[in-house]
Parts: sequence; C-alpha cells; structure tokens
Amino acid sequence: MAFRISLGSYVPADSVLHRLDPRSKIVCGLAIMVSVFFIRTPLQLAFGWLVALGLVLMSHLPTGKVLSSIKPVIMVLLVLSVFNLLLVNTGTTLVAAGPLRITTGGLWAAVNYSLRLVVAVIAATLILLTTTPTQLTDAFDALMSPLTRIGLPGHEIAMVFSLMLRFIPTIADEASAILDAQTARGGALAEGSLVDRVRSVIPIVIALLASSLRHANGLSRALDARCYEGGATRSHWHPLELHARDGVAVAFTCVYVVALLALGGL
Amino acid sequence: MDQPLLSLDHVTLRYEHGIQALDDVSLNIAAGERICVLGPNGSGKSTLASILCGLLAPDEGTVELLGERVFDEQGIDFEAYRRVRRSLGLVFQNPDDQIVTSVVEEDIAFGPENLGVPSDEIGVRVARELHRVALDRYAKADPNNLSGGQKQRVAIAGALAMEPQVLVLDEPGALLDVRGRRGIMRVMDQLHEAGTTIVHVTHFMEEALAADRVVVLAKGRLVLEGKPAEVFSHGNKLTELGLEEPFCARLAEALRAKGVNIPWTCDEGELLASLSRTAAAGTPSKDPREVDCSTMSGGSDNPSERSESAIRSTGLTYSYGDTDAREARHPALDDVSFAIPRGSFTTIVGQTGSGKSTLVRLLCALETPDAGRLVVEGIDTSDRRRRRQLHGRIGYVMQHPERQLFAETVLEDVAYGPTNLRLPPAEIERRCANALAQVGLTGREQASPFHLSGGQQRLCALAGILAMEPDVLVLDEPMAGLDPHGRTQLRDIIARINAQGTTVVQVTHSMNDAATSQQVIVLNEGKLLMQGAPEEVFTADTRDALHTSGLGLPDALTWALRLEANGLAGLGSPLTLGALVDALVAEASPAPEPEEVSARGL
Repeated sequence: MAFRISLGSYVPADSVLHRLDPRSKIVCGLAIMVSVFFIRTPLQLAFGWLVALGLVLMSHLPTGKVLSSIKPVIMVLLVLSVFNLLLVNTGTTLVAAGPLRITTGGLWAAVNYSLRLVVAVIAATLILLTTTPTQLTDAFDALMSPLTRIGLPGHEIAMVFSLMLRFIPTIADEASAILDAQTARGGALAEGSLVDRVRSVIPIVIALLASSLRHANGLSRALDARCYEGGATRSHWHPLELHARDGVAVAFTCVYVVALLALGGL
Repeated sequence: MDQPLLSLDHVTLRYEHGIQALDDVSLNIAAGERICVLGPNGSGKSTLASILCGLLAPDEGTVELLGERVFDEQGIDFEAYRRVRRSLGLVFQNPDDQIVTSVVEEDIAFGPENLGVPSDEIGVRVARELHRVALDRYAKADPNNLSGGQKQRVAIAGALAMEPQVLVLDEPGALLDVRGRRGIMRVMDQLHEAGTTIVHVTHFMEEALAADRVVVLAKGRLVLEGKPAEVFSHGNKLTELGLEEPFCARLAEALRAKGVNIPWTCDEGELLASLSRTAAAGTPSKDPREVDCSTMSGGSDNPSERSESAIRSTGLTYSYGDTDAREARHPALDDVSFAIPRGSFTTIVGQTGSGKSTLVRLLCALETPDAGRLVVEGIDTSDRRRRRQLHGRIGYVMQHPERQLFAETVLEDVAYGPTNLRLPPAEIERRCANALAQVGLTGREQASPFHLSGGQQRLCALAGILAMEPDVLVLDEPMAGLDPHGRTQLRDIIARINAQGTTVVQVTHSMNDAATSQQVIVLNEGKLLMQGAPEEVFTADTRDALHTSGLGLPDALTWALRLEANGLAGLGSPLTLGALVDALVAEASPAPEPEEVSARGL
C-alpha cells in the first residue's frame, strides 16, 4: 500500500483515442514525443501544448486521472528547471547574486525544456491510459514482427511486457507487506553504515525474491492450464484492423510535425 | 455406465528427493459427476488435480483423459496431452497468479484466444461467462481492484470460456473470506446443474457435502471413497488423518455419545428433523429455562473487569491518500474506540475491506493515525522516537507470514528479530530455542525454511515473532490456507501463548474462532459496529446486523436458532459445539421415553 504506484494503467472510456488502432496510436505518439525536441520558440511551445491539451480533451478521460499519472514526472521536471535556471547563462542578466546569475537564456531554458517535455509525457500517458495491455501487447507484437522474421522472439517480448504491467501492483503489495513484517521484527532500513544498510535490505530482498518465484510458479501453471503456446496459433478477440480514422490520425500527426517544424523557421 | 471421462489406473508419481506424491491411485470419474477431493496438506491433492487436468504426467500407471490414453507403460503421448488439455480447465488457490492481463474481460478472452476461437465467438463467450459469475458490471475493471473472491470468479470465468468438459478446482476458496467462498460454491452448484464435470479439492469439509462423491487422500494413497455420508461416517479415521467432519456430523456424533437417541447423519435437514422429533417426544411443557451463558464460552471471566489495558484506542481515524484507482468511498478507519485488556484474547472480525488490516497496521505502529490516539503498552504509536521500542513489544504476524522467511536456516531466521533487538548472544540462543519449542520445530534448526512443508513454514515464521517475546501478539488471519489439522495445531499454540500472559489480538474470518475468544471487535466499512464478549456480540438480535456486514453467527448458535424455529426452545445462546450439545442434552433428558427410544434405534 505504501508502494502503490499509479503506472498509467488502462482507463476505460469511449473516445476516438480509445478506438484508434494501437499500432497507429503508438507510431503517432512516438512521432509527437520525438517532435518536442525540435521545439525552440515560444510559438512552437504554445502550438505543442495546444495539440497536447486537445488530445487530452479528445480522450474523454477524467482530467484528474491524467494529472495524477503525470504528477511524478512533473516533480522531476521541476528540479530540472531549477538546474536550467541556474546553470544556463546565455542572454542578458536579470538577477545576479554572488556566483549565481539568472539570465534570460536560463529563464527560457527552464521554461521551455520542462514544458516541452510535459507534452511528450502527456502523449505517452495518453497511450497507456487509452490502450488495454492486450492491445499494447498485440501492437508491440505487430511492430516487432520484423524481429520475429529474423528469428528474435518478438511475440514473447511483447507478452513479457504485458505480464510485467500486470504484476507490478501485485509485487509492490507483496514488497510492502514484507517490509512491514521485517520492520515489525526490528529490521530498520536506512540506518547505520553503508554495510549495515546493505545488510538490512537482504531480509526484504530475499523474501521478495522467494515470493516472486512463488508467483512465477503459479503463473506458469496458469499459462499452461489456459493452453498458452506462444503466438502462432492464437486468435484475437479484437483483431487489429486499420480503419479510415487511423489514416486520418497519421495524416494529422504528419501535418502537426510539419507545422511545428515550420513554426520554428518563422 | 458409460466409459468414464477421466480414468487413472494404478498411478504413482514421485518427486525429487524420493517423495511419493501419489502412490498407486486408481480413480474413475464419470461425465457430469461432482467429485470432492479431501486430504491433509501434503497428501497429494494438488498433484492429483494436476494429473487430472493434464498438466502433469505420472511415473507409473495408466492415465486416460476424455477417452484418450495420454500415459501408459509406453510413456507420455505429448500430442494426446495437447489435444485433451484444450478441454480441461483448472482454477487454483491464488487468484493473483491466474490473471494475466489488467482488464477483466480481456483476461476471460485470453484462454479462447489461445485456443484459436474466432473473434465473434470469443465475444459471446466472454459475455456469457461474465454473467455466469455475476461480474457483468466489472467487465472493464482492473482485476487488481477486485476482492479476492471476485478475482477468483474471474479466474473461473476464464477457465469456463474455454468450454472445458471438466473443470478442476484446486482449493479455490483457500484464500477467500466466507462471502467469497459462498460465491464460488454458488457458481459450482450452477455448473453442476448444467452438467459440467467438476473435481473440487478443498480443506473445508462443509463444502464436500454438496459433492456426488468424496475421495480422501493421505500420504499419496486413496484411503476413503464414497458418497459424502459414507465418508463422513468414518469419523475416527478422518480425525486420525487430521481432517474433521462437517459441523452437522460432529453435532450428531457428540449427541449420540451423550446418549441422545438420534441416527447419525451429515445431512442438516435430517438432523434438524430428528432433533425436532426428539423434542416433540420429550418434555411436553417447554418452560424456557435460562441457560447460563458464562459457563458456556471458553473465556469465562469478563475482560472489562481486568485492571489495565494493553491497548487503548480513542477516536482512531485513518485514510489512505489518493492512492490511484482503489476508490475508497469512506476512510479506512473512522472514529474507532476500544480497549483491549492486558493478557486477554481479542478477535477482530469484519469482511474484506472493513478496515481490519488497517487497524492491525496501526496497532503494530507501521502507520500513524490521522486522528485519534492509539496507545499500546503505554506508548503512543505516533511517537516516532519510541517506535523501535514499541516494535520490540508487539509481535506482528502478517497474513501468510511464511512470506517473511529469508534466511538459510530456520535458526537464523528465527534469530533475526532478537538480533535486531541487540540482545546478548546467550539470550538470543535461549529465546530461539524457546520459540522453536513452543511451535514444535525443535530439531529442525539447521533445515532451510524453504524446505519445510507449508504448515511448518507458517510455524517457523510464528517462532520468529515469538522469539522477540512480545507482550502483545497481533495475528492477521493466521489460519488462512491451513488444513484442519494445521488449524487445530496453531489454535492450540496461540491459546498456550495467551495462557502464559501474552495479550493476543487475532483477525479472523471464522466466527467459531471469534466465539472462543474473550472479546470480539466487529468492524464494518471502517466503523466499529460492535464490541464486547462473544455472548454479547453473537445473539439472535445481532444476527441481522452481522449479516448485512457480510458476517454470520458461530455454527453452534446458528443451529440453536434453527432448532428454536423448529419448536425446540430453551437452548439459550450456545457459541460452541460443546455448549450446544450440553444444552440439547439438558433439554432432551428430563423425560426420556424408553419405548420410544428402542422403537427408533438404528
């Protein structure tokens, strides 16, 4: 419970983003994420944000849900901003106090680097929140099919990824229960020398490892019982199918990227 | 009779280290049959379940599943196994391990997808099975947010969506509360009616009564087989095996031993009828005599009269922060006040989500209350500086405490707590020896905790806490997943520790266990519903309140009330089997009619 992480797990809703084919969703999302690194001017930033917010609205997700999913990343970005503010010294000086100098360049870097990354984070979060793990697996499976063709386990990698998403909360609960139990037995984490600290982690890590193995054992029995035999013979409840809307989505993404780059040249 | 659907002939299976998991077992199961497999822990039940659903091949013997010979002296026919496995479903203990995706309906579709079922057909099956297990509303939910019972129903739906000819359930209710188990039994009844062949492995004897046939395993051998009534009539043999008969059968037996003339039965209706008949034949005027409650319950003296409290809680309130999707509409604990006398035995009851586990975490100073005060052994749990000291005085036995085992030897693991208390080596040694003796693991000091049996692992974990010599011992559902023998053993150990002066606080799903404690705390939706001696908490008047909170009455009282409804008044409120028997004997004895008795002898 202490460890409960909100890892952008699927939130059902009825929206275009939910209905989009996961493959086109991932490709478009990646394009948007890469494009933010070309944002240099305030106009570009405003455009990027406009599109990101538009996408949030289109997703029909509760805003709180999106916010709570990106909150942890925002914290990191804030720290990053402070560094940018203090370390980038281009442009005219605004404030100077001893060795510290805040310049216009620093201010812009602090604002731009963080805000443009938020756009990327929003894009990534929307993919996770609007796509079921099964769809994600299928999409990865499809996108990795070139790997399968050259003999790499594309489908299996996708399946492992999906199981990982599924088991993170379970293992996190387990970890917190074991941590409780060992704390109650007087085992204190963060105390004493480095050696002491490493030693104090052992009772938790070993117990958690044993627990995970127990889960792995159970899971393998379940996969056998449900006749999972890898990708070849499987059918799909919702087979991936490209619709007109996927074409539209890809087209819009292209237009967005081109427009963004063009705005940079103005 | 038709050819059996599943057939084992002289099947033997050995695990590494020469452990004989199954020893010359022969079993035929016909289509549509509902079989219940009973047996103590380590008797080979799970192995049998795995063989029956085609996941495991034996070393010797012949196995025929769904008319295909999958294993004989020529060895394993892998192709045949692959074919039959498609029509054999399995559901086992831990629902967490059986759910592979994070959306309920996608998980149910997983099996059919593996079978290559066309997508339209999958949609039909998913909707049908969701409805069958009464989870229609949760189609899009994340299984992580469901209760254990609901998750297990998802697992069952996932197996059923593959349209198996046989469904094997390996202790599906072992980790669930009463309500969860009832839900699973309901689904099984339905399936049985619809003609599905069911193999049900369980530790709960009551559940076996619904089966067509019961099979009892011990040390890998099939020792008893027959209709439930036949099997449960071998009371002594079952007790020897560490199993116990259903409550109803035990009641009939105890009454017969006291000379009440009724035929032995394990059918509730039958026993009820014959007891009502005895009553009608017995005392004509039924003046309801007050039965003295205090002589009945195990704990006799009133705890509130004892001097000090070990734990005092006033206005305790706690809520989890906005932890993602688990929507808590109410605080986990809301204004809970109670006192637990030093040296007493207190039980906490409440259904899943009532705040029991939160209360336990607060008691053990693993969390501090949002509001209110919680004082344990004179130390306020919000006092962070004295927390270490507090941890030395409260022993916390978590759910499935075997998960805390980590060391290479039993002794090392047990010594972990005392070592953290920085005690001198001689003292640590004494405490470890003492704790291991208390749980009966003396002599296993050098064994690896991971090589112990399930029941022994739990005892080892308990020893690790006892070695800290706590003043207060807090146990969170210590009996979960144990067989009847393990439950009895653990119950005795806890009672002994309590008798030595340790205050015991135990969270339990079993109203029968709660009935034998001195004080019961009932939680519902984070609020204190009731507290008091078991005689005060479990009465005819509180039945409805308990029922709406997903709880019930102890078996003995349920029976007494049912008998009363059948005209057998004056039984009082017995909370244990012994008390109920005494009350019934007292009621039946005043007017024995010899003629009647001989006429109705067996």
